[in-house]
Amino acid sequence: MIIFENVSKFILNSVSIHVPQGETVGLIGASGAGKTTFLKLACGLLKPSNGRIYTMGLKPALEQKELCRGLGVLFADIPVLQKEDTVVGNFELLRSIYQINKDRFDQDYHELSDRLGFVLLSDRPVRDLSLGQRRRVEIGAALIHRPGLLLLDEPTAGLDENAKQAFYELIRERRREGLTTILTSHDMEEISKLCSRIALLDQGKHLYYGTEEQIKKRFTPMDTMQLEVEGRLPDLEDLPLVRYTVDENRLSLSYDSNCVTAAEIVKLVVQQTVIKKMKIRKPELADVIVRLKTNDKAENLSVDHEERE
Amino acid sequence: MKSDTLHMMLVYTKTIMKAWFQYRSNALLSSLTVFLREATGIVVIYFTLLKFGTLGGWNIYEMLFLFSLLFLTYGIMIIFFTGLRDFGKTVRDGGFDRFILRPRGLLFQLIFTNADWFAAVGHGGLGIALFLISAGRVGIQWNAVNILYYLFTVMGGVLIQGAIFLLLAALNIYLLETNSLKELFYWNMRKFAGYPISIFHKAIQVCMIYVVPFAFVNYFPAQYLLRKPDMAQYPQLYLYITPIVGIVMYLAAYGFWKYSLKFYKSSGN
Repeated sequence: MIIFENVSKFILNSVSIHVPQGETVGLIGASGAGKTTFLKLACGLLKPSNGRIYTMGLKPALEQKELCRGLGVLFADIPVLQKEDTVVGNFELLRSIYQINKDRFDQDYHELSDRLGFVLLSDRPVRDLSLGQRRRVEIGAALIHRPGLLLLDEPTAGLDENAKQAFYELIRERRREGLTTILTSHDMEEISKLCSRIALLDQGKHLYYGTEEQIKKRFTPMDTMQLEVEGRLPDLEDLPLVRYTVDENRLSLSYDSNCVTAAEIVKLVVQQTVIKKMKIRKPELADVIVRLKTNDKAENLSVDHEERE
Repeated sequence: MKSDTLHMMLVYTKTIMKAWFQYRSNALLSSLTVFLREATGIVVIYFTLLKFGTLGGWNIYEMLFLFSLLFLTYGIMIIFFTGLRDFGKTVRDGGFDRFILRPRGLLFQLIFTNADWFAAVGHGGLGIALFLISAGRVGIQWNAVNILYYLFTVMGGVLIQGAIFLLLAALNIYLLETNSLKELFYWNMRKFAGYPISIFHKAIQVCMIYVVPFAFVNYFPAQYLLRKPDMAQYPQLYLYITPIVGIVMYLAAYGFWKYSLKFYKSSGN
């Protein structure tokens, strides 16, 4: 659905990625990593300095008009709606622009306005809507022409929990019908809930594309296990633990999940003592971003230091 | 014209009318403000000419007729070309990116999504008022030929000014900001266009005929209908070619616009 071959533009540096149809991809990375640039390249708003891009089999910057028919987009800095017009007036205009059949339009408008919760706002001018209300309408506007590809930049910013859930449901449903979605978000929980694949950008470099589990294993493999035991403390010398602290009958273990599993640790412990309580903390997706940021800072500090020398 | 295009034009127009005339008293006052602002300049000239009689051989009513063409063509032009006049703002607001992301012609969307109706009513209303005051007092025979000439020449004047806005919008793609250019090449030149160009220095005349050809918007058309002696210093052909100048300028500006779009860079990066 989207192919980037060694694409460079602004901060993006030789990015290659292939997103198949039907995937919901979360584009993550710290602020300024190049996420919005990636989306703008994919829809043809920007042209690559180097490399090739194919979106839905088309060259986005050259075949814009054709591409737009099957594309739904939402960017923070691009207004979707005419502020002066009512919500329903805006959708009427979209019907005309995308040449949507009247019956299908009526059916879809009814469904989207109902599910995203803007059915009562239909006759209100867009300029009178709150940020959250406007965002709900904008999501509906991005979906009304049943696009095959959705590019969403921070789509749930300003949405309340109900609207977020409705949005997640819609995306999941449309995915089953073949919709491909690429979305950026700083809400890692949202990415976890919604996305089948994750693309990680760090300072313009495409570091990884895969499932959430794979990405966490690769970038933050360190799991933590806290144990409270009854009786003698176990001997864990043979395990490849990274960190091991003891406080009375409580143990805190950090280990690389690529080298040793929680099951292996527990098995060894129960052979020697009784476990009263156990808590395992697996890294969150947000930890990946934090870790990358920390690494970047460390790299920058090291460069500064070398330059001074 | 395809029915969906027509439908889109109707929807856009409905939206614009709703937006501009939502508050009727405000709309009336805004239009009146534009009308009075522009009329003030005319009143000053009127009283000046009452004292001096003529300006370069043009009497007060001939001058008003000259002005009427300028205001009327602007009033019509701005209904279609507000989007181009305000193109810089549209780009900065991200509105142009929205147009790019829709499967419709960019110029079509720019033209039909905005219309400054206050300016249209203010300028157009003043143009009509000046025409009504002057047309019967300048000795024009309003026969079929002259009426047709007048209609075509107004269309040409609209296209000439539209072409200037289109050209400036295209330049905006390279320069990002063209307000100073617009001030210099449109608004300042337009101030000269209220007077017979023959009263100005040769350099300004050349500018008004060949650089920013406002002379074809009102001076030469008025000359065709009035036949003033100062026309002797210009080729007679100029009396007839306003619609052609308009079409050629517009096509040239459109070509430049299409070419310039290749260099457009999205905002926000």
